[in-house]
Amino acid sequence: MKMRRTMVFLILAFAIGQDGAISVQEIIQAMDNNLNAKSRVITSKMVVHGRRSSRTIESKNWVVGTNLAFTEYLSPPREAGTKMLKLDDKLWTYSPQTDRVIQISGHMLRQSVMGSDMSYNDMMEDRPLTDLYDATLEGSVEIDGRDHWILFLEAKVKGLSYPKRRAWIDKEWFLPMKEELYAKSGKLLKTSTMDGIKKVQDRWFPSRFIFRDELKRNSKGTEWVINEIEFNAEIPEGRFSKARLRK
Amino acid sequence: MIGFLIKGIIRDRTRSFFPVLVVTLTVAMIIFFQGFLTGIMNSMFLDSAVVSTGHVKVMTRAYKEDSQLLPNDLALLDTDQIINELQKDYPDYFWTPRITFGGLLDVPDEKGETRAQGPVYALGVDFLSTDSRQFEIWKLDNRLANGRLPEVPEEVLLSTTLANRLDLSLGETVTLIGSTMYNAFTTYNFTVVGTFKLNLGPVDKQMMLVDIEGARMALDMKSAASEILGFTETLLYEDKATVALRKRYNENHGASADIFSPTMMALRDANQMGTMVDFSNAAIVIMLAVFLVIVMIVLWNMGLMNGLRRYGEIGMRLAMGESKGQVYRSMIVESVIIGFIGTVLGTAMGLGITYYMQEVGLDYSSAMEGLTSTDIIMSNVFYAQVTPELYYIGFIPGVLATVLGTMMAGRAIYKREMAQLFKELEA
Amino acid sequence: MMFKIAIKNLLGAGLRTWLNVFVTAISFFMIIFISAMYDGMREHAMQVSIDTEIAGGAYWHPEYDPMDPMTFEDAHSVLPDAVMALVDQKKAVSVLVSQASIYPNGRIMPVIMKGISSEQTIVNMPTQMLVVDDETTIPVMIGTGMAKDAKLKVGDSFTIRWLDADRTYDADEGTIVHIMETENFKLDLNHIWVPLAKAQSMLAMENEATYVTFAKDVLPSEGNGTWIHRDIHYLVRDMEAMIEADEPNAAIMYIILLALAAMGIFNAQVLSIFRRGKEIGTLMALGMARSRVVGLFTLEGGLNAVLAAIMTVILFGPILWYFNTYGIYMGIDYSEGQMGLIIAKRLIPVYSVGLVLTTTFVVSIIVLIVSYMPSRRIAKMRPTDALRGKTAV
Repeated sequence: MKMRRTMVFLILAFAIGQDGAISVQEIIQAMDNNLNAKSRVITSKMVVHGRRSSRTIESKNWVVGTNLAFTEYLSPPREAGTKMLKLDDKLWTYSPQTDRVIQISGHMLRQSVMGSDMSYNDMMEDRPLTDLYDATLEGSVEIDGRDHWILFLEAKVKGLSYPKRRAWIDKEWFLPMKEELYAKSGKLLKTSTMDGIKKVQDRWFPSRFIFRDELKRNSKGTEWVINEIEFNAEIPEGRFSKARLRK
Repeated sequence: MIGFLIKGIIRDRTRSFFPVLVVTLTVAMIIFFQGFLTGIMNSMFLDSAVVSTGHVKVMTRAYKEDSQLLPNDLALLDTDQIINELQKDYPDYFWTPRITFGGLLDVPDEKGETRAQGPVYALGVDFLSTDSRQFEIWKLDNRLANGRLPEVPEEVLLSTTLANRLDLSLGETVTLIGSTMYNAFTTYNFTVVGTFKLNLGPVDKQMMLVDIEGARMALDMKSAASEILGFTETLLYEDKATVALRKRYNENHGASADIFSPTMMALRDANQMGTMVDFSNAAIVIMLAVFLVIVMIVLWNMGLMNGLRRYGEIGMRLAMGESKGQVYRSMIVESVIIGFIGTVLGTAMGLGITYYMQEVGLDYSSAMEGLTSTDIIMSNVFYAQVTPELYYIGFIPGVLATVLGTMMAGRAIYKREMAQLFKELEA
Repeated sequence: MMFKIAIKNLLGAGLRTWLNVFVTAISFFMIIFISAMYDGMREHAMQVSIDTEIAGGAYWHPEYDPMDPMTFEDAHSVLPDAVMALVDQKKAVSVLVSQASIYPNGRIMPVIMKGISSEQTIVNMPTQMLVVDDETTIPVMIGTGMAKDAKLKVGDSFTIRWLDADRTYDADEGTIVHIMETENFKLDLNHIWVPLAKAQSMLAMENEATYVTFAKDVLPSEGNGTWIHRDIHYLVRDMEAMIEADEPNAAIMYIILLALAAMGIFNAQVLSIFRRGKEIGTLMALGMARSRVVGLFTLEGGLNAVLAAIMTVILFGPILWYFNTYGIYMGIDYSEGQMGLIIAKRLIPVYSVGLVLTTTFVVSIIVLIVSYMPSRRIAKMRPTDALRGKTAV
């Protein structure tokens, strides 16, 4: 029923959107093409603004799909050498100080990374939106002299961190310049924005994300700066093994 | 005169032995009772103070606001400096840093894989620095169930309940999973060297005790602490003094609007402690009043009886020409002497028992077994407490009441004829 | 006959007897009063717990451990058939427990969220207040203590965040619809109460529950599957232990009180034997058996207890009655639960027949013993010495 209504809407949206001659499906597809890849290797830096001070954490991530992710922290010194492995819903961590591989319960994945406004899933999840959400076009708007579509996405599978989201998608870059992430009930949980759009391996990709936890009082937001990114890199199978944590 | 009376008292067993014995015993009892009551209250407060509140404690304002979340990102920094200042400004207290934190404890098997995991409530206590009195006030010598006390910061004690649940044996390594004061994820290895039982009800259910330096390393809190706890040197909680101290401190540090500036709380400011302090003070006063009344009556009665016992002698003395006034006065002086000797002996005895109870305590923890899931910090071992009042409180009933009784009995000297009194000698 | 002589002798001693009787009476009073306070506390705590929380007992989900919030995540399922039947017959109420966070005024507070049917009548909670027409927010009921902690009042809204059955965090607005006055801090501290159906849909746990509390007259039935039956005794065991833990203190006080009273009586006995040597000698010379003389003096002393009992009734009876009627103002605000006990604002002491009888018995025995001890000497006296008044004490 819902599905059919969405379809009708999609067709309608297609009809209305004649001038741009692009469907909602195509928008998401294009967005996915920019953001997703079979795999990615990212060197990034996270700036966490605490109540007292700010900290910068550097890490390198290897991600394949949604189910495989490996993170190694590079700095600050205390965190350097700490590694995390995500296999499906399981998360293991290794720190050189303890020389232990410890499994952490699954819902830690939804908790914040290093006190930031991002969860592990925010950082690692990489699954095409088309698979997860039904989208409806809510309109267009001009922000900072650039045209954006406003898209409302509703989950079609269970268990997502954000069952609803609203995205402002740049019409040229096909990137969600701003996103509001909602809980199932419709409560705004987080907002994310991106900037520093560059061409990387024939796709547009931001060099910085800013996440803000809307439930936290006075959240100053967390910056996630992408220093280097490589899409569809060949990542050897062994990367995602527990043995690799100890190395 | 007094010398003569003393000789009389010593030589005449009926005149001395019983009255002194009674005074001694009653005085001993009231002193012990007072010490016992104070001890119960004080040990209750001391336990709370040691585990969480201190007699006073200092923390940042922001920490105080959210203290139930154990927000170590709002901890005090450069605690050594703060402690030095506190020590200088308030030398009657000793000050100690404390880190309170939660997390998970993970126990590895031989391959280093997780064998058991459970939540932990940990206290980083300054056990190991020189001159630290923390082992003493935690009474860890008594409370250690197994193993030994930590000697290096990486060694920890677990409550027996926690150790049993994780199925740990001594010498094993546990990994703490928690977050640093910067909210970063952290893991840290500790070696379990002992288990303890606080005997305070269920507070220690998930408790781990670690030296503060260990906690600082684990939580990346170099020279920081959640709180700084202050205790009176005597370990006696004095409500008025701590409240005054808190007031003074907060006035001195109240100017800044900085949410990270330090603020002080007195023990009574914590949760329900204020009402409990007031309630127990009132209870002590009422109880003690009732007891004093009883003791006064007993001693009064005893003075009365001692007088009666000696009507014959009095008659004889009057017959020999002593004036009534002389006899009366000598009896009173005598009772003062008896009261005094009895009180001194009773005070010594009462103090002795109280001191014993203070050091050894009355343990009825066996009665408490099966008590596993309540929140109160509770003493299963009650201690008596020697306080300065104990040294003089006995004199009120001991001397006063004895003399009063003798005075009442002595009135008979004036009321009755010499002959009648003389006849009593026969009886 | 002997009784008559004894009471005459005793009363003849005048003030010193009355002083002893008074001390004994105070001890009597204190022991009864303090024990009655403990009993009152126990009874009150028990009654409140049963009334507001325990009812006839409960069935728990096997994973449920109220002391370990980590267990809540897994402690939920559809009710076993037999238990379900009880709920359908309105003989039981199911409660769904989960961890949640609330964000009142921008602060974050971890809470225990409990869903309970608003129509239930099993436990004495104003759950009917959870019925509201407004569908837009989650109706929430909290206790006065929680309201104070979180600085919330009726009509205030705040965000609630929880983890649903799919392990997804969800959040929504809740509105305080009622602040309940409850004497049971366990329903108050860190608790938010929401309608059961709402909780089930929020958590995506349709028809599921964590525990079921059943009415008093319902007998535990078969067919509760893996769910664990918890009887009243199990559910109140902590409270029992708490009160018992405190009683040794009272016992020490009783001992000291009795010792004081005993000492007074002992002293009086010694004195009367000393003073009445002639009388003793005469009685013996007249042929009264020593044992009877001893008995007479013991009885005299023992009568102290009787007089004390009478005096207690006359002097302290009204006080005991007053407290029993109006209670004792405790001045303790139960709501923060720091005492770990449910404590009445006005504590009504409970005087049981057993308590009064036991106390009377113990006091009498002690008085008799201290009366007998000095009297024993009589048996060793030689009548001739006694007649001449030569009594050594």
